[in-house]
Amino acid sequence: MKMLTLALATAAILLSAVGAQANPARDAIVAGFVAQAKAENPGFDGFSATRGEIFFKANQVGGKPETPSCTSCHGATPFTPGQTRAGKVIDPMAVSKTQDRYTDPKKVDKWFRRNCNSVLGRECTAEEKGDYLTFMISR
Amino acid sequence: MGLALPYIFKDERHLNRSLTPCSVYFYYLSHLIEKGPHYVSEKQEKVHPVKVWDLPTRIFHWSLVALVAIGLITGFLSPEWWMGVHLWAGYGTVLLVVFRLVWGIFGSEYSRLETFTFTPREVIAHIRELFFLRPTHYIGHNPAGALMIFALIFILAGITISGLLVLGGEENQGPLAGAANYQVGDMAADIHEALTFILMVLIAFHIVGVFTEIHLSGENLVRSMIDGIKRVPDAIKPPIHRDARPLAAITTMVSFAMLAGSLLWLFSTMPPSGLIAMAVNEDFQRECGDCHEVYHPSLLPRASWTTLMAGLDDHFGEDASLEPDTAIVITAHLATYGSESWDTEAANRFRTVSPDAPIQISATPYWLRKHDDIGEATFKRKGVGGKSHCKACHRDAESGRFDDQKIKIPNE
Repeated sequence: MKMLTLALATAAILLSAVGAQANPARDAIVAGFVAQAKAENPGFDGFSATRGEIFFKANQVGGKPETPSCTSCHGATPFTPGQTRAGKVIDPMAVSKTQDRYTDPKKVDKWFRRNCNSVLGRECTAEEKGDYLTFMISR
Repeated sequence: MGLALPYIFKDERHLNRSLTPCSVYFYYLSHLIEKGPHYVSEKQEKVHPVKVWDLPTRIFHWSLVALVAIGLITGFLSPEWWMGVHLWAGYGTVLLVVFRLVWGIFGSEYSRLETFTFTPREVIAHIRELFFLRPTHYIGHNPAGALMIFALIFILAGITISGLLVLGGEENQGPLAGAANYQVGDMAADIHEALTFILMVLIAFHIVGVFTEIHLSGENLVRSMIDGIKRVPDAIKPPIHRDARPLAAITTMVSFAMLAGSLLWLFSTMPPSGLIAMAVNEDFQRECGDCHEVYHPSLLPRASWTTLMAGLDDHFGEDASLEPDTAIVITAHLATYGSESWDTEAANRFRTVSPDAPIQISATPYWLRKHDDIGEATFKRKGVGGKSHCKACHRDAESGRFDDQKIKIPNE
């Protein structure tokens, strides 16, 4: 319980620092990743939007050849819409563009599970997920 | 009626050659052709004009020419989405054929079927005369022409009836959508096509026959079918002319239209036989629709859907895995409504999948055949968005019908 409170507090500080819109459901999701990150890496010292941006735009190895990067399907920037390989339009990933992003924990889990496997060929770490979310929330 | 003995046989020029029946005939023909047309130029007969074809018969003839031409062009050459025009040509042809039969009873003298119904003996005699290019003059249709008209009417009736069965059986459209299943429609499609080839041969013979007759008689039959008038030798006495009975004809036409119309209407109240009611499954709609168009379950057989659902972790090169509970629900939905459950054209065709890619609709033999004249550039158009986007062109894709008339390829 103490851990969770701490996590929430950390998240709150982080979020206010980057000036994102507050949303309790989204905050809880980020807080969950904070807790996981701490469990995975004792030296964890918070998420970084900068690392998230690098992660989002990088060409990854280990995934399926059709999808080398997040930007293969999502737009080149968080503000531009993307397209699935089957041609369906994907709304921009930035919270400022698509307000209801990252508010349904099941959906967040589902898409990290699928897309990390497609792009990196493995599960993402809590830190990678948190960095990514922090980047998107800040934009 | 009697055939004049070919007087050329008394000509001495052939006596010092060896004769075969063939060489005699061709010698004879060349002689005839030298001498020119039979009735007018050779004998210099006096002629008088006779009104042979009444206006309704002439309108019938040229309307039929137009509708058959439209039917052939839209059937063989035009892209699928001209199907609507093809259908109207067909319905128009039905009306014309029925009209001609009714007018064959109540029309004016030479339009009546009885005036050109000949005995086999007369037909054979006429063909023999044709062989020697010396046919007897008929004011109306001659026996060969009459045979052609009956043949054309029979074939056209067969083409329209089989066409209605194709429409109802394969396309689930028209009055027989409920009465004819796919198998019936598929058989009717073969008949429809075979009869159409016979029709084209008949049309060719009809045209050759008309121009042969024009050459032999000197009578411009094409003009006669426009102004209705033939120039008949004075020696030939026309029969007593019976006038048309338009009222009787109209009454019969209307009665027939009402009878046939209500019969077809009764059939058309049956729900289309190929389509079933499908329960809406929200998981299916949401999960599949997240990444791509929601394909109609009738587009793959059950086995393919089951394979596809078991391999979602590598779904066309992507991880599309689902929560187990959701996967079970969607698999059940697809198994219930796979192609085996439908009798539409698409469902019947897509039961045959590609052995190499059994879960890919666009790899099925039928899909490839139907899209092989559509260039890659067309698929790349912005409004199309790739081969996986059925409803970009098939505006009724969501219903699983895939009507020909509902195809519209975006221009850009």
